[in-house]
Order: sequence, then C-alpha cells, then structure tokens
Amino acid sequence: MDFDDTPEEASYRAHVRSVLTDRAADLLHVAPGEPVDARSREAELRATQRVLAEAGLVGVTWPREYGGQGGTLVQQAIVAQELARARVPTLINHIGIGMCGPTVIAHGGDDQRSRYLARLLRADDVWCQLFSEPASGSDLAALRTSAVRDGEDWVVNGQKVWTTLAHVSDFGILLTRTDPGKPKHAGLTMFVVDMHAPGVTVRPLRQMSGGSDFNEVFFDDVRIPDAERLGEPGEGWRVALTTLMNERVAIGGAGGDIGQSAEALAAHARERLPGLDPEPQVLARQAVGRALVASLATRYTGYRRFTTLSQGGVPGPEASAGKLGGTAAARLVADAGVRLLGDDAVLGATADGDDTWQRAQAYVPGIAIAGGTDQVLRNILGERVLGLPPEPRTDKTAPFSSGGRR
Amino acid sequence: MNFDLSDDQRAAAAGAREFFTDSVPLSAARAALDGGGVPAPGRKALADIGFLGITVPESAGGAGGSVLDLAVVAEQAGAVLAGPSLVTAARAAVLLEGAPDLAAQLADGSAAIAVLDGPVTGSAPSIDAADATVFLGLDGGALVVGEGEVTPGRPLDATRGLARVRLTSRRVLAEDAGALWERARQVAAVVLAAEDLGAADRAVLMGVGYARQREAFGRLIGSYQAVKHMLVDAWVGVDQLRSLVWWAAWAADSAPDELPLAASAAKAYAAEVSERAAETVVQVHGGIGFTWEHDAHLYWRRAKTDRLLLGDAAEHLDAVARLAVAGALG
Repeated sequence: MDFDDTPEEASYRAHVRSVLTDRAADLLHVAPGEPVDARSREAELRATQRVLAEAGLVGVTWPREYGGQGGTLVQQAIVAQELARARVPTLINHIGIGMCGPTVIAHGGDDQRSRYLARLLRADDVWCQLFSEPASGSDLAALRTSAVRDGEDWVVNGQKVWTTLAHVSDFGILLTRTDPGKPKHAGLTMFVVDMHAPGVTVRPLRQMSGGSDFNEVFFDDVRIPDAERLGEPGEGWRVALTTLMNERVAIGGAGGDIGQSAEALAAHARERLPGLDPEPQVLARQAVGRALVASLATRYTGYRRFTTLSQGGVPGPEASAGKLGGTAAARLVADAGVRLLGDDAVLGATADGDDTWQRAQAYVPGIAIAGGTDQVLRNILGERVLGLPPEPRTDKTAPFSSGGRR
Repeated sequence: MNFDLSDDQRAAAAGAREFFTDSVPLSAARAALDGGGVPAPGRKALADIGFLGITVPESAGGAGGSVLDLAVVAEQAGAVLAGPSLVTAARAAVLLEGAPDLAAQLADGSAAIAVLDGPVTGSAPSIDAADATVFLGLDGGALVVGEGEVTPGRPLDATRGLARVRLTSRRVLAEDAGALWERARQVAAVVLAAEDLGAADRAVLMGVGYARQREAFGRLIGSYQAVKHMLVDAWVGVDQLRSLVWWAAWAADSAPDELPLAASAAKAYAAEVSERAAETVVQVHGGIGFTWEHDAHLYWRRAKTDRLLLGDAAEHLDAVARLAVAGALG
C-alpha cells in the first residue's frame, strides 16, 4: 500500500507538468472555485483545449487510431490532477471527450469517426449529450422526442432539457423514440445531430444557484440523415448505456472532490474560525470536522476504486457509492463553509463580494440530482451491489404507446 | 498509487475470518451478557494463534507486523464481536516498545494486560480490564505498570470487558511518556475503528439477508425503497469507513505525521457508521430484531459502547478540525 507515483507515473506527471508550464501563456487559468462561463469565455476555452490536444493531453485513454493517446486511466487522472493544480479550467469539451466521443467510437461508422473524433479532441467542435427530457429524468427510457423515418432522413420533434453546454455546442448525441409501439427500452434510436441544423433551438436555463450551465433544446422538424444514426434502429438504449457507463468513469469519483475540497474548507476555517465567538466557534469546529471526515472518507474510497481501475478493473455499480458519498460530503462541506461566515452567512456574498461558499451551498441540490439522483443511485446500489429485489414494475414490457401500463 | 491490501494481508484476513468464525459463536456474547460466560475466543486462543503479538517486535516474540496487518485481523474479530479486543494488544505493543519482557508476555498471553483510561487512582471503564491482572497507565506524565483493584460495572456489551481500576502498586516504565501515550491511543483508535468496521459490515449483511427473505404486503421487504435505501446508506458508510481505516492504519506505519488526523477521522466515522448499521439492522428486522434472543442487539450494544470509548465523535471531530486548521492536510 502506498500513495506514491510509480516511476512511470512520476515521469508522465513530470512531462505533463512541463507541458503546462511551457504552454502556460496559451492556456486559460482561473482562480480555484472561480466559475467559468462557457459562453463568454468560449474562444479562450476552445483555444486552451486545442493547445492541450496538440500536446497530447486530451483523449488520453482514447485509442490512438482515433486521435487519442492509447493511455491508461491513471495517466488520465494524472492529467486531470495537473490541470487542476495549474488552475486550468475543465476542458470545454469534457462531455464530448468523456461521453459522446466514446459512444461514437463504440457505435459509429468509420465515416462518422473520421469526420468527428479528431475535431472533437481539438474542440473544433464542441459536443453535448441530449438525453433528459421534461418528462423523463431519472426514468430516461420514458423519453418522448420522436424520430420518424422519411426517405434517407429522420425527422425529429421534441424537447430535451438539462443539456450541459448545448448553447456552445456544434454537435450532440441525441436519444429518440423511433417505435412507440414497442416497450419503452426497445423503441429507442441514437443519432448524431448537428446543433446548427434548421429547427434546433437552444435556450439557456437559469439554475437556482444563479448560473446557466444547462439548456433546454427544442427540435422542430429537424432532419437528420440516416447516416448519422449510431447503432441500429431500436438499439438506442444499448448505445445510451455505453454513454452512461463512460459517464460513470468520468464522475464516479477516483479521488477527486465533488464541490469544494477538504483543503479549501480547512483554509477557510483557518481564516474565519478566530473571528467567531468562543461558543459558536466550538460548534463551527464540529461542523468543519464532520465535513472534513466525510470529504476524506469519499476521497480515500475514490483512491480504492482508482487502484482497482489501475489494476485493470472495470468500474462497476459500486462507483455509484462514490457519487453518493461525494454529494453527502459536498453538502456538509458547503454547510460548514457557510456557517464559518458568521453574520454574512445569511447574505448572498460577504461584504467584499466573495460568494464562494454561498455558491457552493446553492449548488449542492443540483449535485444530488445530476448524473443520477441520490434515490436512483441508492436503487442501483441496493439492487446490483447488495442484491436486494427491485420494485415491481409495470412499465418494462408494455408498449410505450399504451402509457407503459397494462 | 496502490491503495489496496497486499496478497499476504488478504490471506491473513481470510485466515482470521476462518479462525474467528470457528472459535466465536455469537451465543458467547449473549451468554457473557447473561453472566454465564467470558468473551470468546479468550486471551489464550488469541495468543496461541499469534494475534496478540502481530505488532510486537520479533525480538520480543511477536510477528513484527504492521498496524495495517493487525487492522485487517481486527476487522474479522469485530465481525463476530470477539473478545478480548485487539485494541488492547495494539495499544500495549506501542506502550511496551521500551519493555521487551512485558511485550513478550503480552504476545504469548502469559500476562493479562489492560491499558487504563483516565487516572490510575480510579480509572474510567477501560477495555479488557475486567479479567486483567497487569495494568498500564499514565501517571503524572510517566508510563506506569502495576496491579490493581478491579471493579466491573453492569456491562452494556459484555464482550468489551470494561472495568474501572485503581492501581494498588505501580512501577515507572518510562518518564515523560505523554507523546508515546498519545501515539498508542491513536493506534488504539484505529484498531477500534477496524473492529467497528467488521461489526458494522456484518450487521448490514445481516439486515440485507433478512430483507431478501422476509415478505410483507405480498413482497420481499428489500424491494421497498424505504428499506432498501436505509440499508444502502448503512452499506455506503461501511464502504467508506474501510477506506479511512486502511488509510489510518497505513499512516500509523508509514506516515506518522498523518496519523493523528487519520486516526481521529477513522474513529469519528466509525462511531457514526457502526451506530447507524446497528440501528438499521434492528429496524429492518422489525419486532424480532428487538428481542433478546436475536443477535441484532449484540451489534447494537457493541456500537453504543464503542462509539464512546477512546474519545467520542465530538472529541475526534474537534481534533480533525483543529489539525486541519493547523495545516495537517497540507
């Protein structure tokens, strides 16, 4: 047991670090926790990813034949750690790299792969994932956006929502219903959609935290050539599972923090604790201690998962525990951070305009929903890890058009 | 990074699991509670298989192993509520670093050693003191050993062998032993957390097993999300506790600077996790879980006792916060 890099990892890390130093002038840098608006900083974000792609730091785990580096998950993690350390913000195309691209690799044709993948890695094109709908969130397979065959095209109508980055995206992977006469999981088909095509309308959503990371996307008679289909008609659910499995790798928590880090909370406490009266100070220290323990428990559990991956393991359903734990920790960390503000805790920002902890607090409800609600994750863990029986369901076998009930 | 047990440690855990399963029926914990027995497997059996000397140096007749080696065995001991506790072995091994003769007696079981919390003139209830004859304590900054007058109270968890002790004789083993004492207590906290990990894990599995066979309203109760989610939350806690226990045990061996924070994190989390697991297993069982003859309350008793031993969660959370504020996270 050790937490050190192997000699190979250390040399790879040194390489990454030197690239980030040498190319620093061409990269966007932000303060820790500083929100980065994809729209207003789109050009810088795209340019940053292009520089990193040229240096071989994007698509680390992708196969070489598709422009990736054929590297390991460990190397991928090292790049992520070094980018964070250098304060380079999350890559603008992280959805494309983590989810859309791997789906195109697994289910796309050679023509699609050659047209899309290299441009995706360079952020020449930004990608989004068009899955959730107003009436199908956790129950994704209940989606209603329809695609109807018309000659060599499919005609799409419907609405997607919670689409990260749609407002700056050039392409998306789009899950549609092509056969409502079949049971809900069987009538789905996946496409690549051109986000600039006629009939595609993107409207940013404003979140309760104030920012706009997500969008709603409307499809009105949008024509998609059949050549842009990913997988066979009716196989959309299987294709979507590829995407979701890659999402699990991306957010399952390999030791990374969800929300503010333990170190950030400790630094905040160092600054703020002495300013509190003695009795509130005791209570605030309890809250800080509890949050730190939750954060560290999640971090070290991530290290265990990461070790499994680095030994060649595949992320299983237990990765859901990482997100569940991370969300619980983020909630405690944000709460402790806000408590430390004393009187300023009831305001949206401190007197000097700093809203780091208020923002973290307002973001927590979203964390508990995005990428699998706490409740869905508990079902997954209960059924696939603990072997508990599922709830009886009436919607899996009936035709979707019947309303999912017998 | 390699945050995983070694093959040897996995094998040791499997061996320990077999030993404890064979030698510790849960009925022993209930019998001890009823006043009809002593904790199983008992000091001699633990000494004979070498578990009391895992961290005692080879030169003193021990195995010269690591705290992590001991922690993986302690987890298995906790699963069946074994006694006496490996906490005592771990803590005494640290305290007796400068007393190889006594360390040897600890390892071979020839001395029944317990470590006293609180003043030696009248200790707090201390683990495994009830049937011990040799006591280690901190007296005015010095590490002392002596005999004592033992007063067990009515046990909440009879497997812990808790008793108050007043030393009737004392000999100084080391002056200015405050730092040594503190490190020993931190190691003890890690091993206690490891035993709690095993107990909590077993309690959750017991609840899962019942939820997979008990029917109500025409369905297995584990299919109800109210039951399922309760068990999952308990399980996630156990899974995360394992990570903190491993980290803290590793720190005890390989990163002494990290030990104070890691040990307090593990102990605080263990208190919360084992209590939740024990309360969950009782609740999932419903009425039968509230009976004396069911095993659920034996885990509940262990959890309710252990959460307060060697410092409660409030003490350790405060320590984590203070250490982190002082820069312990880097």
